[in-house]
Amino acid sequence: MNIQEHIPRNALVWIVICLFAVVAPHATRLPLWVVGVYLLAVTWRIMVYRGRWSFPGRAVKFAITASCFAGIALTYQTLITLEATVALLLLAFALKLVELVRRKDAYVLLFLGYFVCLTEFLFSQDILVTLFSLVNVVLITTALIALHQPGQQRFSKEPLRLAGVMVAQALPLMLVMFFLFPRFGPLWTVPIKSGAAKTGMSDFMKPGDVARLSQSDDVAFRVKFEGEIPPQAELYWRGLVLSRLKEGTWSAIGYYQVPDEERRPVAVDTQGVEPLNYTVIMEPSHQNWLYGLHYAQSSSGSVVHAPDYRLFSMVPVEAELMYSASSWTQAPVEVELSSWRRKAETRLPADDDPRTRQLARTMHGEAASDRAFVDSVLAMFNEQPFVYTLNPGFLAATNAMDDFVFVSRRGFCEHYAYAFVLMMRAAGLPSRVVAGYQGGEINPVNKTVIVHQFDAHAWAEVWLEGEGWVRVDPTAAVSPLRIEAGLEQAMQGDGSFLSESPLSPARYRSIPLVNQFRLRYDALTYRWQSWVVGFDNKRQIELLHDFFGEISARMFILALFGTALLVLLPVAWSLLRGRSMQVSREHDKYYRAFCARLEALGLQRQSGETPGQYALRVKQALPASSATIDNITRLYNELAYADSALSSADRQDGLRRLRQAARQFRPNRRAIANH
Amino acid sequence: MGSGSLIQGKHRYRLRFAERFQRWINRRIPPSRSVTLNQRRIFIFPSAAGLFFMFCLLVMLLTAINFQNNLSYALTFLLATLFIVATLHTYANLSGLTIQAVRAAAAFPGQRTEFELLISKGRQRRHYALHCAWPDSSDALVNLTDQESARVVLHMPVGERGWYKPGRLLLESTYPLGLLRCWTWLDLDLHALVYPRPLPTPELPGTASQDDDGAALLLPGSDDFYALREYRQGDPMRQIHWKGLAKGQGLHSKEHTAYAQRSAWLDWEQFAGLPTEQRLSHLCFWALDFHKKQEEFGLQLPALVIAPGTGDKHLDAVLRALALYGKEPASA
Repeated sequence: MNIQEHIPRNALVWIVICLFAVVAPHATRLPLWVVGVYLLAVTWRIMVYRGRWSFPGRAVKFAITASCFAGIALTYQTLITLEATVALLLLAFALKLVELVRRKDAYVLLFLGYFVCLTEFLFSQDILVTLFSLVNVVLITTALIALHQPGQQRFSKEPLRLAGVMVAQALPLMLVMFFLFPRFGPLWTVPIKSGAAKTGMSDFMKPGDVARLSQSDDVAFRVKFEGEIPPQAELYWRGLVLSRLKEGTWSAIGYYQVPDEERRPVAVDTQGVEPLNYTVIMEPSHQNWLYGLHYAQSSSGSVVHAPDYRLFSMVPVEAELMYSASSWTQAPVEVELSSWRRKAETRLPADDDPRTRQLARTMHGEAASDRAFVDSVLAMFNEQPFVYTLNPGFLAATNAMDDFVFVSRRGFCEHYAYAFVLMMRAAGLPSRVVAGYQGGEINPVNKTVIVHQFDAHAWAEVWLEGEGWVRVDPTAAVSPLRIEAGLEQAMQGDGSFLSESPLSPARYRSIPLVNQFRLRYDALTYRWQSWVVGFDNKRQIELLHDFFGEISARMFILALFGTALLVLLPVAWSLLRGRSMQVSREHDKYYRAFCARLEALGLQRQSGETPGQYALRVKQALPASSATIDNITRLYNELAYADSALSSADRQDGLRRLRQAARQFRPNRRAIANH
Repeated sequence: MGSGSLIQGKHRYRLRFAERFQRWINRRIPPSRSVTLNQRRIFIFPSAAGLFFMFCLLVMLLTAINFQNNLSYALTFLLATLFIVATLHTYANLSGLTIQAVRAAAAFPGQRTEFELLISKGRQRRHYALHCAWPDSSDALVNLTDQESARVVLHMPVGERGWYKPGRLLLESTYPLGLLRCWTWLDLDLHALVYPRPLPTPELPGTASQDDDGAALLLPGSDDFYALREYRQGDPMRQIHWKGLAKGQGLHSKEHTAYAQRSAWLDWEQFAGLPTEQRLSHLCFWALDFHKKQEEFGLQLPALVIAPGTGDKHLDAVLRALALYGKEPASA
């Protein structure tokens, strides 16, 4: 094996450190046995190193690889989702350690490590994840450096410093490239994430679903308004419109179940009204729907407008997504209802909940108008002993709404929305359940609205003649506090708020220090998401416009090379500016002067002749100067070859004496011995 | 026929290319016993690992584009600029180093000679993984960390009699990341002396040495004073009869006896009629033979006489004369 191919022991230690550091952020997503493979791989390599075990043979390698593939296929049921692909990559990373023999194997392993760092970003682009990945990059770079310090047999932290310095030197130029590199769309479709990690609303809803969501303090999205933040009670974030009731479950009408001519939303008159402008940054939900206030339009490229006036994305939101939207909260929508739409929004299954339907028909008959009927149903929720609770208990399996309206009367928002829409439709009014979030926490640090999962909510929309779709929230009739102050306030009495997550910082909002920290960190996250994660083509053009005015290819290249020079020149300067070279080279200068004098007399130093041999030859020719020649040669040899053994004082003294001797050395041509 | 001339043509082009490369590099890095590396003398290019790394970067960039993932972009660009920064660090690792030729040991044909170099620190506090080798020599991997300079000994098989020039020394390093290879080709003006190949003959012709009567031979430098004779050029100084000189008796040398079997002159003419190289080879064999037996011998070549003597230095002088017979002196 070529001597350059040996892996120093120090590098091996750093490689093992990298292995664990790189897999750490992935660990929560991985099946436990993958972590087991890591431990096995490291144990194996250490045993090989100690000479107890040997490297695996070809058959063993093949068996291990095949069983890893099989294991992944069994665990994930597929090999083509992102999770499965990344798990395979991580296994390859671990197993490469077992066949780490030469330096080139280490290259493959460590470059794979860089790639594993990158895959972590496909799951989360959080600040902490980013910082951890940066540390990982430094660690992998350290291992690369250690790999090129031959003979380092003891663990040494020294390469870590250089790795840190190099990464720090690379950072500024990276930023420039990050902001200048043109962003364009995907070149081809890529493996998607499996549904395992879906969070937030699902596209169907049955009683109990929203209540479950309310146990999570995860952030669903953050919103920044251009102007004043509207009051809490106005913040109804529409996500899903659920128009179809089947077997006690509300679901959305699929895109392809809508007839062609109904697929575009009916135009809304927004003339002369100033819209409410805001920007939403969604956390990855792995779902397609986006959130907006009543009658929202978005100019962002990836946002599609549905015929029921909600926003959605053609691809699931796999990473933080930023979009801007405008809302006209007072605009009447769909004042003219198509016959297909009317039929779809009034359809009920044939025969459940007869008592509730009967009640609705009676109340509708008694009411003077549709509007009065809506009010009378809300009044019923308000005046009868209905309870708004996170723990509504179980409802009867059949005729669940009859059980709710007439017996238990305990429910969360989805129960009220369900019962309300059921009653509207029973009376023949077009109506539907809307699912989304209501309210949000205002972060005083940066004036954003943080919408948590526990803000999940369900309400109703009723179509009224001449008014179009009107939002009605039956929950507000039962528990006005929920709408005005949020879930935490509404649940203060029974202590069920986030009762399943005792460590959630949102639970400790009453402790000022904790709360302050939480809000500051959230503001930082917002800034991070809007500047780094949400940086897209549009933002790039805005930024470049602000900086350079006009955008052209030449400007791009100039900016890139200009900053590259600006950044790299100081690095080059610090590296190459020269330690004082005189100290180590001075003796050569004097010795060369001595040789030049002799050369003038025809006594050239021959190649391959050491100073000692040369001195012997020259002394024969110049016997008179032998003492001086000996002296100079001895001093020179000491300075040039016994360098490390000399103290610096000795060195200075030696140099001084050599200089003196060389200057005073004046051999005479006539003194050359006759031979 | 056609393909043959093609191959010849190819060969000719390769030769011409090699010649032009030699001329170019001789201009760029002229031969010298001591070379300090600067930007004229250092070449840098991505290593094989570096090219592989670039490929990995491309895959990462495609991942970033396809997943529309900004932090993946950021990581890709960070690694790309790390590559650029590594260029400077790799260059700095060689820059300023001084490489000096120290010694080239003499050797017999087919043996390996020893070349000794001295590498001294440049501007960095530490230099790592300096790999040096001649195209067909052994190689060495040197770190310069605590010490100012390091000696490197490389072994190399030598060719035929005369001066052996090892060609250009390759000094390379991929430190710190292995992504870039920095190298230089140095002509350190080192020559190794190659002695003639020793070729035995059953006996040394023209020596009347059959009488093994133990007759005392004249060996200079022995203790027993034997006689005075006329001074011959090449006699050591301490053999000069100084007292006699002071008395005005002229320059005489003292002769001493030693217990030797033969008085030996290795003479060019002893092998008359043989080709030059064979003559030198035989002379070389006998010189070694005498040296091994610690017997005194002298050498007579056309236009060169080495007085009889013993010892390593004497042997060196004799072998050197044989090695360089009819050769140009090495250019300094």
